[in-house]
Amino acid sequence: MHDKISAEEQALLDKFLADNQLFLGPDPEIMRNHATTPRSKAEDEILKKGLDPHQVHRVRGLINAALSEAFTMVNQMGAAPGAKWGDLVTGIYTAQGDLTMIAPHGIIAFAACCFYPIRFIIKNWVNDPTVGVKDGDGFIHNDARYGGIHNTDQSMMMPLYYKGELVCWLSSTIHEGENGACEPGGMPAAAESKYDEGIKMSPFKVVENFQLKRDLVTFLQNSVRDPGLQLEDMKVKLHAVMRLRERIIAILDQFGRDALMGTLRVHLEDTEAEMRRRIREMPDGTTRVLQFMDSTLRENALQKISLAITVKDDRLIMDFRGTAPQFLNRSVNTNIASFKASLCTGLLQNIWPDLPHTMAVMSPIEIITDRNSIVDAEGEMPQSMSLMPLFKGCVVWTIPMNKLNYSVPHRYSAVIASQYDQAATFIYGGLTQHGDVTGNFCADINGNGQGARSHADGEHSVSPVFGFMCDSGEHEINEEDTPIIRLGAQRLAKDRIGWGKYRAGMGYEQVATARGSGMWGFMTGCEGSKFPSAQGLFGGYSCPSYQLMKIKGINIFEELKKNPKVVEVFDIVELMNKRPIPGGKYSSHDMGMTFELCNEGEIYMICQGSGGGYGDVLERDPALVMKDLAEDLMSHENARDIYKVVYDEKTLVVDEEATKKLRDDYRKERIRRGKPFDQFCTEWVTPEPPAHIPYFGSWDNPREIYATTMGQRVKMSADQLQGAFMLNPKDLRIMQLESEVERLQVELGAHRNAER
Amino acid sequence: MKRVSVDIGGTFTDCFVAWDNQYVEGKALTTHHNLALGFNEALSDACNQLQVETSTLLSGVDSVRYATTLGTNALIERKGPRIGMLVTSGFKSTIPLSRARGYGEGLPESEQMDIPNATRPQPIVPIPMIREVRERVDYLGSVFWQLDEDDVRLRIRELVDAGAEALVVMFTNSVVNNAHELRVREIFLEEYPGHLLGSIPMLLSHQVAGRKGEYARGMSTIIDAFLHQTMYHGLGTLELNLRAQGYDKPMLVSHNSGGMAQLNSTDALQTVHSGPVSGVAASEHLAAATELGNVVATDMGGTSFDIGIVDQGGVKHYDFNPVIDRWLVSIPMVHLVTLGAGGGSIARYDRLFGSLEIGPQSAGSDPGPACYDRGGLKPTVTDADLVLGYLDPKNYANGRIGLNPKRAKQAIEEQLCDDLDLDVAATARLIKRNVDTSMANGIATELRTRGYEPKDFTILAYGGNGPLHACGIANALGVSRILAPPYSSTFSACGAGNVNQMHIHEMSTWTVLFNPALKAFFSDYDGFNRNVEELERRGREDLLRQGMAPEQVKYRLELDMRYGNQRVQTAVITELSRLKSQKDVLTLMEQFHKSYGARFGEGSQSPEAGVRINTVRVCSYVEQPKMTFAKLKLSGKTRPPPAPQSTRDCHFVGHDQPLATLIYGEDALAEGTQIDGPAIVTARATTYLVEPGWTYHAAAQGGVWFIKK
Repeated sequence: MHDKISAEEQALLDKFLADNQLFLGPDPEIMRNHATTPRSKAEDEILKKGLDPHQVHRVRGLINAALSEAFTMVNQMGAAPGAKWGDLVTGIYTAQGDLTMIAPHGIIAFAACCFYPIRFIIKNWVNDPTVGVKDGDGFIHNDARYGGIHNTDQSMMMPLYYKGELVCWLSSTIHEGENGACEPGGMPAAAESKYDEGIKMSPFKVVENFQLKRDLVTFLQNSVRDPGLQLEDMKVKLHAVMRLRERIIAILDQFGRDALMGTLRVHLEDTEAEMRRRIREMPDGTTRVLQFMDSTLRENALQKISLAITVKDDRLIMDFRGTAPQFLNRSVNTNIASFKASLCTGLLQNIWPDLPHTMAVMSPIEIITDRNSIVDAEGEMPQSMSLMPLFKGCVVWTIPMNKLNYSVPHRYSAVIASQYDQAATFIYGGLTQHGDVTGNFCADINGNGQGARSHADGEHSVSPVFGFMCDSGEHEINEEDTPIIRLGAQRLAKDRIGWGKYRAGMGYEQVATARGSGMWGFMTGCEGSKFPSAQGLFGGYSCPSYQLMKIKGINIFEELKKNPKVVEVFDIVELMNKRPIPGGKYSSHDMGMTFELCNEGEIYMICQGSGGGYGDVLERDPALVMKDLAEDLMSHENARDIYKVVYDEKTLVVDEEATKKLRDDYRKERIRRGKPFDQFCTEWVTPEPPAHIPYFGSWDNPREIYATTMGQRVKMSADQLQGAFMLNPKDLRIMQLESEVERLQVELGAHRNAER
Repeated sequence: MKRVSVDIGGTFTDCFVAWDNQYVEGKALTTHHNLALGFNEALSDACNQLQVETSTLLSGVDSVRYATTLGTNALIERKGPRIGMLVTSGFKSTIPLSRARGYGEGLPESEQMDIPNATRPQPIVPIPMIREVRERVDYLGSVFWQLDEDDVRLRIRELVDAGAEALVVMFTNSVVNNAHELRVREIFLEEYPGHLLGSIPMLLSHQVAGRKGEYARGMSTIIDAFLHQTMYHGLGTLELNLRAQGYDKPMLVSHNSGGMAQLNSTDALQTVHSGPVSGVAASEHLAAATELGNVVATDMGGTSFDIGIVDQGGVKHYDFNPVIDRWLVSIPMVHLVTLGAGGGSIARYDRLFGSLEIGPQSAGSDPGPACYDRGGLKPTVTDADLVLGYLDPKNYANGRIGLNPKRAKQAIEEQLCDDLDLDVAATARLIKRNVDTSMANGIATELRTRGYEPKDFTILAYGGNGPLHACGIANALGVSRILAPPYSSTFSACGAGNVNQMHIHEMSTWTVLFNPALKAFFSDYDGFNRNVEELERRGREDLLRQGMAPEQVKYRLELDMRYGNQRVQTAVITELSRLKSQKDVLTLMEQFHKSYGARFGEGSQSPEAGVRINTVRVCSYVEQPKMTFAKLKLSGKTRPPPAPQSTRDCHFVGHDQPLATLIYGEDALAEGTQIDGPAIVTARATTYLVEPGWTYHAAAQGGVWFIKK
């Protein structure tokens, strides 16, 4: 055998491989690189000539106005609930595909993912004679493996040519929802492989000469449950991008090609420089945080997300090694590109919200992961419910960055505990009362309880972890489009909160049923039913866990007709504790529910959650406790038990002296209970995760990863992670029932024998 | 014609009097403790100019009309009653949660983005004052949970015992079936009859707003209830004051819908922002009277820049869910966008991009710009205008405010020049350019999202700083015609004098004109026509109550239409007052198709996804005699400039060196006067800056054209 290959031979082999690719799948060279590309030759020439920063300011203002105009168009014209309630974005990219700017109210993560497919198009289609890229072309894409948050989001990307030269790219993205997956609504928790996820569009040309190609549109319509929505919103995105193109061309006409290309590039470079300045302001060192996801949405599974943030000069390293491994047949994986987009969102949402919304903020950040972990899953893994790790990505660095930022000379925003990070909303599907087939999710996703701040309580459900000024909607309007009836619409969830010196903002209950449909169903894709989702800060409590509850086997409309007083109020706690509806089958579950049919009048109940609390509960101003009581946000039991306040329940007048004494005594009690750290570790730490917990991730040694696969616990090397294969919960249930039947049969036999 | 119209603003009370062929303006400081005092002073100012006794004037006018910011101020100051609220069971947190975005409504973008510092405004109805009542209606109006009357009585009593001074009822879907809300009022009156001392008002949401959307409608009703007493007392005092001085007709109040009505037919909510909206109404009238074509009305004051659109084709632009103070409400308000850019906007160095940012922070009027010498240390737009030589330090705001140029220069020098590496003049030029560009971008976005192009518009520039920045804004926007209208310093008052008595009634509806699944077209003409008739009836009754003759009442039918499940809220004005045939249905769809295409681009329409009417709206109005504007069109007759008062070195954007600039006085307002820029005309009420490349043309009645060469 010849093992020496000459350079010439190698070049020929490389050419052969390049010319004979079986499949242009997601390209690791593109997908693993979140940094902005180096200046192109043209950009370098422009910047070396020098740009007037004040002209850049003017051009930037015009681009912003254009993006804002296009955003408004999509928001107004869009038919998907996501478009109507704010889950969309319009963006502009350099000619190499670096995301430069987004519309002021857009969802950063959508655009922060779009540069991957644009780079794919540049790399693969520009010089492909069967595809090519020219003026008037538009490309569509939804598969997150090529970039994207998840496959419900569809993007339209368009190159902008000016005087024959490609000067930038434009995009518009909407969370469309329905995509023909095995469950309606586009986010199938039941997906066991990527082939259950519905339509998977790699970036392809769907527009020529600024017109949608009807043959391809028909193919896409044929692949989803809601062909009307598919067509409508493709038009919306195309026309928004065309409007944006028109405005950018006007800027080019006014200021010239150098001004536009230079502005796009310098915007990235200035932003990156500012990031480095801020990193340098923080003290050097490492802080760590652990988070846990507690479900695969099919079964309970405690999955660790491990993060160590190290700051050294102007470098920031995020080390996620030790995180849970990917699942071979569960949909809660994410690829690394999507995960980075969620980290970017977290930075811009809860840490430094004043920074420009561009992916350049991530350029100075190094991210280390274990390949094939749940945050860096391989392409074949299902990832239709990637929102689970992605929402974690939005908040995971809130706590460690607040610690690093606490004492810097200038704070760029408030010190805050984690926001609730679950997609606590109903996903739905079926036939509407108007006979249309549909599948989507409710706007309740847009209201996560806020973490408490160092200066104030958190706000009750505000704009969610992935965007600002998102809208949780109006139920009167939603009820026109779907048969969902809200019996409890966004009621604040009493007592279910992250306590602290400052308490977190509360989540809200959602009590829903359906009426007037021939076939309707719900699913929920949400974790945090066993392990709290939002962490407290500096002694503040985490939020509690939240469950899904059902009342099946009834028709509430019939019951209300028979006896309008049958229910006092549609409050989850009241309903579950008092069980007032006769004949109802009351049950409680974790919030990961795959799609199930809801008969008319059956009740499903979930809860948006609270953020984490801030500071010691004993330091909470008793007046604030009384205010919460007056607002019925908490029970007397908790006021006394957690906050240790002595007061008159009727008048809410605080006995200051008795409260001080009670709190002082309790502090002493804490001291009595306290242990030296080493002693605590000796008593508490075990060499391995407890056997009864389905645990995924590292334990003590970050290079050893635990998992349960095929029902058996295994230990893997972090460098060679295998995916975990989960048994079908229905199979397990059947096995359990069969074994029960077998046991009963044996008992019956024994009983009969005894009788004889 | 003899008429008085008034705009009571936060700082000034403006009065505009038409006395046959004489039009005069009066101005006085607003007297918040008793609005009548400021009004009397402004009216005296006008009467003195006319040399007419106040009582003679008031007994001789056909009407006195008010536009007022009284409601806005009361809201900001939280002056109002303790409100109790009844809501449908299950919806008790709808108002406190404010659709999750309520933390940021009414705030600048930078504060909306700062989620860690998010803070909702202090609630008007605190959580303990909200009670749930067992009842429920579905989206079509069918009751599926009967009203529990015992529950109603109990909850009302709880709220009254908790000190409610007004009650609001907001039941889900009450706009499609109001029976439960009406029954609650009956029960309330049974329990608490109106003749008893201590009786309190109760407002029903379906009577305040006719559109679906429980949060926005609930907030509308709350604000209406909150402002009711303040507005009633404030405006009632004004009416008594008028009667005491010889006025014997009903007082009229301007509405933010662009109409007006008597006090007895006015909701408090309808008065909020009625001042700025009257400015847009004046622009509309002026545009029609002088054939201006499309107009963008701009009002630049000390802290904000208001933008309104007037379409020559009569298309009305409304905000259906405008933000009032910090709350989203449901009311058809004339579309008005407010940008945080005014004379007081603060300039700051942006280290990130090495550039200069303006606003949104404002020095306001207290302490105000550095040059006011009232303790303000931050450089503002007005400071830059002073440094650039545009303002006369001794004659600013008609001499009311003295300016200190040293302070302006010092603020710019100390806080900006080093970082920007520019001298004071260059920095001031940059401030001027950036603020003008920012306002131009705001206008461009407003126009283009509605399918217009700025170059097809004339800018109407009014407000204290309007004519000073108009050329700069137009330069950035690519507009070549600006009109500083006559009576620009009291333009909103002037507008209040020219609106019709009008009432708008809306109804949410589920009207499917085309159902693609069934390939069916709408055919329930009777049902549709019944709804239109009902809305006409309500409007007619409003107008008849105010003494209008039935034959004077006119109607305009507007339909909010959409494709499929879109959110788009495009109002289509239709000549069809009733539907009678499939042809009418197709005509409506065609009208929608055209207006949608014009706005979003031809080919963007999606009729194949279905066509629906979501809201039916009827504007019922009685046309009123109008004050006439002289023809303001440019005529060929010109007169040379008067002798300049002085020459100043002024700095202009695009010119590195100062230019010798002639300064003119009030006499330059004589009709036909033509002056080439650069020049400055300092008149009693405002400063007109004619930038290089522009020509000043004085028109009739004190109007001024700026034309780009």
